[in-house]
Amino acid sequence: MSAAHKSLGKVTLALMMLFIVLSMFVSHANPSEWTDPEMMSFDQLVPEPQVPERVELSNGLVVYLLVDDTLPLVQGTLYLRAGGLFDPDAQTGLASLTATMLREGGTSTRTPDELDEALEFLAASVESSAGTSFATVSFSALSENTEDVLSIFHDVVLNPAFDEGRLEVEKGGLLEGIRRQNDDPVGIAQREFLRLVADGHPQGRFETEDSINSIDIAAMRNFHQTYYVPNGSYLAVSGDIDTEEIVASLEAAFADWPAQDVTYPEVAPFPLRPEGQVYFIPRETAQSVIFIGHPSVYAYTPAYNELDVANGILGGEGFSSRITTEVRTRRGLAYSTGSGVTQGYDAPGIFFAYSLSRGDATLEVIDALLGEIRNFQEGGVSVSELERQQATTLNRAVFRFVSPAAVAERTARAEMLGLAADYYETYINNLQTVTPEDIQTISQTELRPDEAIIVVVGDPEQFGGADALEVFGDVIIIDVDADDTDGAYLPNLLTPSQVSLQVGN
Amino acid sequence: MNLSKALRNLQRASLSSLTSLCFLLCCLMVLLASFGSAQELQEQVTSVTLENGLRVIMVAQDSAPVIYFNLMFDVGGIDEPDGLGGLAHMVEHMAFKGTQTIGDEDLARELEVLEDIEVLVAAIDQAESAGFAEAEIAKLEDDLTALRAEAETLASPNALDSLFDANGAVGLNASTGYDFTSYVVALPSNRLELYARVYADILLEPVFRSFYEERDVVMEERRQRSEDDPRGVLVEAFLDTAFEAHPYGRSLIGSAAEIEDYRATEAEAFFELYYHPNRAVLVMVGDVDPDRDLEIIEQYFGTVPAGPDFRRDLPVEPTQTEELRVDVPFDAEPQLYIGYHKPTYPDREAYVLDVISGVLSSGRTSRLYRRMVLEDQIAVSAGAGSSFPGSREANLFVLVGNPRFPATPSDLETAFYEELERLKTEPVSERELTKVKNQVRAGFIRGLASGSGLASQLAFYELFLGGWDNLEGYAETIESITPEEIMAVASEIFVPTNRTVGTLITTSPDEESSTEEGAGQ
Repeated sequence: MSAAHKSLGKVTLALMMLFIVLSMFVSHANPSEWTDPEMMSFDQLVPEPQVPERVELSNGLVVYLLVDDTLPLVQGTLYLRAGGLFDPDAQTGLASLTATMLREGGTSTRTPDELDEALEFLAASVESSAGTSFATVSFSALSENTEDVLSIFHDVVLNPAFDEGRLEVEKGGLLEGIRRQNDDPVGIAQREFLRLVADGHPQGRFETEDSINSIDIAAMRNFHQTYYVPNGSYLAVSGDIDTEEIVASLEAAFADWPAQDVTYPEVAPFPLRPEGQVYFIPRETAQSVIFIGHPSVYAYTPAYNELDVANGILGGEGFSSRITTEVRTRRGLAYSTGSGVTQGYDAPGIFFAYSLSRGDATLEVIDALLGEIRNFQEGGVSVSELERQQATTLNRAVFRFVSPAAVAERTARAEMLGLAADYYETYINNLQTVTPEDIQTISQTELRPDEAIIVVVGDPEQFGGADALEVFGDVIIIDVDADDTDGAYLPNLLTPSQVSLQVGN
Repeated sequence: MNLSKALRNLQRASLSSLTSLCFLLCCLMVLLASFGSAQELQEQVTSVTLENGLRVIMVAQDSAPVIYFNLMFDVGGIDEPDGLGGLAHMVEHMAFKGTQTIGDEDLARELEVLEDIEVLVAAIDQAESAGFAEAEIAKLEDDLTALRAEAETLASPNALDSLFDANGAVGLNASTGYDFTSYVVALPSNRLELYARVYADILLEPVFRSFYEERDVVMEERRQRSEDDPRGVLVEAFLDTAFEAHPYGRSLIGSAAEIEDYRATEAEAFFELYYHPNRAVLVMVGDVDPDRDLEIIEQYFGTVPAGPDFRRDLPVEPTQTEELRVDVPFDAEPQLYIGYHKPTYPDREAYVLDVISGVLSSGRTSRLYRRMVLEDQIAVSAGAGSSFPGSREANLFVLVGNPRFPATPSDLETAFYEELERLKTEPVSERELTKVKNQVRAGFIRGLASGSGLASQLAFYELFLGGWDNLEGYAETIESITPEEIMAVASEIFVPTNRTVGTLITTSPDEESSTEEGAGQ
């Protein structure tokens, strides 16, 4: 024991004695006489649903409006079918760069500098980006500036100038991102896992130096003209608005945006049942980053809802779940561990379990994660586990209506992605009748540990060499530093999630 | 849900990282400015101090029937004794382990076993320092393993989490900074009594069960944040260099050796010393009604006795006399941190530097972004922060940048210094100042829209910045800052002898292992 330990001890002891003397004069509380919190029962608060108003403009743009005058703010998000799904094979990143350049590259009437200055002086924002499934352009303004900001928003969506100087800055940033893509072992593991699970599909493709360099202004203009159309697009507007006024403003502003037929290209197929395989990426790190998983089901199927409940109990519900309790709480083998099921719309969702654990425990942790999955399939769940999971979701439902902006956005996104309007209500209804047998059945059909793709990033010297991983299957070693590897930028992970099951804001 | 979100969800019991600290402080600056809505905020707030000193701030909003809670304590990393770095954070983890009535299965036996574990741990410490034979130590270790296994059977793990989850909790979490420790959760508003029952109990009768398993979890957290993440490695080395005496220079999570040295007895002593209602504030935002809710808060929290208001004598940082530099070799692309020592609130210079930070790095039209990212194209990011790594004590103004190849950290340094020189010699234009003020005003209003964000801002302000309601004074100060003052403060603070420069230098893995011991010194 160091001297410091002792000095704390002395100070503490003295103070504690003083404290004990003082507390003798206070009537002492006795929590054992309080109600057991497990026995406290409360009504389930049923949220008062906020239903955004749906209006279709004459050009086919669907607008969802939700009034919320508690603060003098207005915000909106436009969703467009213009995501990375439609990147040409050699131009991965085109959808994303096109979206970014809408805001960064100025418009036909405003230089990039003028655009930045105008928005920042109004303390407003217009931002644009694209993931795999869709692109978004959003705005936020103090309500006193709504008209000015809407006019800029319109300009950004329809009249991008793709300024050459700013394009150089953006491409430079992307190339620097590729240079930095292997700085962080967690980033490497997520990216390689996705690349392998979604092999060949746009979700598993990442930007490379070549793909970025091949994108020019003509390609972006063409992408914008082809896919940025009002029909099939959705705009969610919320805040301190007058719905009639704002619909009139939008109708007038977007009168110059005609509907237009789009022929969407064929998208490369998603591998539904890839073979199980172990992939190892050697790095000199203190921890191994482990991802284990496989393609799962589409979000549209009832199976997704049951799998979501199963995943909550297995590893999705944080500290209440089995994986976190076993790997983190009992064994102390991770700070971050658990499992997830993504919501799949353009492609199946992905089931995955993960852990970041000290290198010498790599084999033990992989074994524990696979063991928890198999145990779940064989032993099923108890009634009390299922009831707790049901209570968690039902009691949390009240948070779905905390943020009017989130409600409007969720509604618009759900319709664009083709979810039924009562998707969430159906989920809640089904949740209440699901049985432990249903959960066990879905885990047996939709969790496939024997076919799992296992990705490990770590230091082989800490666990007996890469060969040691062969107990889990054939091992393929990936060198992410090799010049000829298909490079990557930010793991563009599964952005179109959170449509219906997300709580909070 | 997606992978990143899943990882974030498990940041429960997390350290306040660089970003969140900077973010919090930016928000504070924003919140503090009082414009139209500050008045409305005042009307929504009920503020009460219980007899035991617990300050309760309720913000009644016309919202969904939910309440965002933030229980913040005036204790953080800087209050730890030397040699026990990160203990505040460890204690924060232990506060989730339950109480004598939450998670207990066989309390009497459990408490005996936990005591026996401590005796055995101390015995092993002594045997090791006395040089006992390995076989004898191994025997003690076996006994310890058996006791830990028994302890596990005497309680249910994560009972507190399960309880809150089943009641619909959102965002159950905690964070430890250099200045503070805070516990957050949001619940359906009719669960107020559950909240009060549980947290008052944690203050009264916590049980630090599975302490040594949790110590391993913290060690994993250290590996994840401070050993494998290049930014974490750089920040530790940078702060260690910048502060010679003050605990802002220590690792917030603690060194591996310090973590290895934690004992449950010490964590409990730390808790007893600092976790008292008189050094805490409880903020509740949302569907609150003081007439209905105060009674429940009083009923439970009111039973917790006040404790000593112990203040550790913090060492005074000596005035820096020469530029300090540290190079950190690592297998990653370069990053740069530059820091200047500065006073904290309520010193007027701290407010001036908040404005300077806005001029330098707020938005795409800010000076650093325009110059370094857009025009010179030497950086992918370039920013400034005015209160790093905490704000209870004199701290650092920092400039942070990632170079864009082929530019180097040294190119970034040159550009940063030129921008600082410009602040000394040219008055900031009226339009630039107005823009920063507009952004502050809008940011304040936006801040009101987030229940959890508002709760944490109010708690921090109440504990460390003179009271939540001391808004106008701050805003007036910010409003009153002149271009001449900016020049004067810049001239005084931004001088080479007051500067620390930390650079992450790219190295291949082989080189790194040979210089590893040099890293972080």
